[in-house]
Amino acid sequence: MTYPPILQTPGGEGPQIWDPHTLPVNDNVNPYCFSVNLNGAYYLQKGKMIAYYGEMRFSGIGRGVLDRVLEQNFNSPLHASDWVVAEGRGTLLLADRAYDLNSYDLEDGNLTVRSGNLLAFEPTLRLKQSIIPGFLTLIGTGKFVAASNGPVHFVEPPVRVDPQALVGWADCPAPCHHYDHSYLHGVLGGIRHLTGIGGASGEEHQFEFIGAGQVLMQSSETVLAEKSVGVVGEQSAVPHQQPTQAAPGLGNLRDLGRQFGL
Amino acid sequence: MAFTLINHKMVSAQVFPGRRILSQRGAMLGYTGEVTFRPNLMGGQGGVMSMIGRRVANEDTPLMTVEGHGTVMFGHGGHHVHVIDLAGDTLYVEADRLLAFEDSLQQSTMFMGQQGGLMGVVRGQVTGQGLFTTQLSGKGAVAVMAHGGVVELPISPGLPVHVDPQAYVAHRGQVTNKLSSALGWRDMIGRGSGEAFQLELSGHGMVYVQASEVKL
Amino acid sequence: MCRFRTSSARPSPHIGARADTFRNVAQFRLQGSKVLAVDLAGDTVKARNGSMVAYTGQMGFKKLTGGGDGLRGMVTRRLTGERMEVMEVRGQGTCYFADKATEINLVRLNGETLFVESDNLLCTEATLRTGTSFTGLNGMAGGNGLFTTKVEGQGWAAVTSNGPAVILRVTQGLPLRVDPGAYIAHTGNLNRALKSGAGWTTLIGEGGGEAMQVEFTGEGLVYVQPSERLTFGGDA
Repeated sequence: MTYPPILQTPGGEGPQIWDPHTLPVNDNVNPYCFSVNLNGAYYLQKGKMIAYYGEMRFSGIGRGVLDRVLEQNFNSPLHASDWVVAEGRGTLLLADRAYDLNSYDLEDGNLTVRSGNLLAFEPTLRLKQSIIPGFLTLIGTGKFVAASNGPVHFVEPPVRVDPQALVGWADCPAPCHHYDHSYLHGVLGGIRHLTGIGGASGEEHQFEFIGAGQVLMQSSETVLAEKSVGVVGEQSAVPHQQPTQAAPGLGNLRDLGRQFGL
Repeated sequence: MAFTLINHKMVSAQVFPGRRILSQRGAMLGYTGEVTFRPNLMGGQGGVMSMIGRRVANEDTPLMTVEGHGTVMFGHGGHHVHVIDLAGDTLYVEADRLLAFEDSLQQSTMFMGQQGGLMGVVRGQVTGQGLFTTQLSGKGAVAVMAHGGVVELPISPGLPVHVDPQAYVAHRGQVTNKLSSALGWRDMIGRGSGEAFQLELSGHGMVYVQASEVKL
Repeated sequence: MCRFRTSSARPSPHIGARADTFRNVAQFRLQGSKVLAVDLAGDTVKARNGSMVAYTGQMGFKKLTGGGDGLRGMVTRRLTGERMEVMEVRGQGTCYFADKATEINLVRLNGETLFVESDNLLCTEATLRTGTSFTGLNGMAGGNGLFTTKVEGQGWAAVTSNGPAVILRVTQGLPLRVDPGAYIAHTGNLNRALKSGAGWTTLIGEGGGEAMQVEFTGEGLVYVQPSERLTFGGDA
């Protein structure tokens, strides 16, 4: 039985309608949504539940309520307050900013992931803080779900990665810093130092991975540097408001400071 | 083609002696092999003063010369990446939309104010993109960024395309552009529909429009 | 040591669902998954203000100031203080709409009612009526309610979702709870109730709306998006 009207979601083959019996078991519903078959407990980052069937309760972590349970899983006090534990039975749907989601099965392994990108994990895994700031390490056997801005791209070392583009790494040793000295020094480096032209771009500093393992990459997190879009909005499109800008060569004077790195 | 799509938000490019890539700074995500990144103060052509002039004119895209021997991955801010292959023709693109392009392409800056007279000048203010547009011509590939991917709309004689300046990404072909207004002046002031200004592109060619009215 | 599983197949990006080819009125189709193309032959559609990205032919745009056929419901919806504004588009040609790179879902109404979060309603045919429905929470201040736009009549509507929508079926005995920030629309014979999330009490006061869930019971379909409005930066 269907319930008209049904929205035609983009994609072609016609809309797929899910219920607790047809939803995937611990797998992706689509690239951006993950379905957890809850029977017991699951840890998830706050605010990542989008819907659920069944009976379950969500409790905050790091508030003294469940501390005894948590000692087994959380060895990462800094991040504990960002997490909730879901307990009960049912089907739980997770999503995060329409980012791509992937699940990872660890078998007596370890994987380190950017803390903001870790969405959920089974209680069989232990969570610790990585020695690299902003990263968490999962140790043991079990499944976890992580998000990435665009699909995850797996690369094998040796590779140098922009810190912004790093999602995490598995099995290989923790990365070291790599600085491009020809970039930092010399004539061009001097000009850059004096004028700010060229700026610090990230190209002069990377994380370097060596050894055997996998490096997980995404498109970078940062947005473009803020640019002046002028004052002309949809309501105030009055052309004569900033007549000086029309003079070629003068441009937007307010931007000068930023552009020269001041 | 120099660029290979890894996914809709990342591309990779091989560099080797004889193929260099110019990329926007901050666009490199990672690389393997021996690759160096050199800030390109010349901005391609024209010398340092020209570069500074362009910066003042708000067309500031400090470029990096990427050379050596290896594979380099590019992407930025989670924006969709679209690769455009040029076979001798010219692409007009806002500088901050450029992710990376082959060194084999000729780069220049066009003063958009000349097109469309006064309204052309206004255009720079409306789009917030300055009065200068980067022009790439020759043979080679260009990777551009767009919020939510791009739609290609053909422009043919008698069938001009009107584009929201915020959603405009790039265009190619024999195309003239001017700023048009769908409304009277009274409507534009105070109670517009948000569509007060449009870029009108006419001639013969293609315009790339992103699936968002959010300017990068 | 580690086994990786990548996501299931991604929907192919350029399949457009051609909508309604037999009526000589506005035709809705998708250009990719994030751009709506509407072919107009002198008729009218209503669209979210500022959502036009391109057009061919002759088009006129007029901001609607509320009133009239229930549009005031959309215009005056006040939950967070931002204003949802609507424009009327009339002309000959093809008009392209998009909204912050969100996915577009098409729906054809034949007299049924569609409930949709008003932020997610992109475009409707002029033949459709829109109004507002409200679900409150007992004992809660007005700000804790859920305003939803009601679309009724005959015609096409386009609904956006940040990421492809997931369609969930609700039947008797199988209620569904959703995060209000992920809810986009529902159809069918459903009852809605705002619930404070059991066990979330430790989190109340932290904001972010996490303490609230919407419970759906009855028979129908609920559409959720794989993201939450409150964490979606562009949706101010």
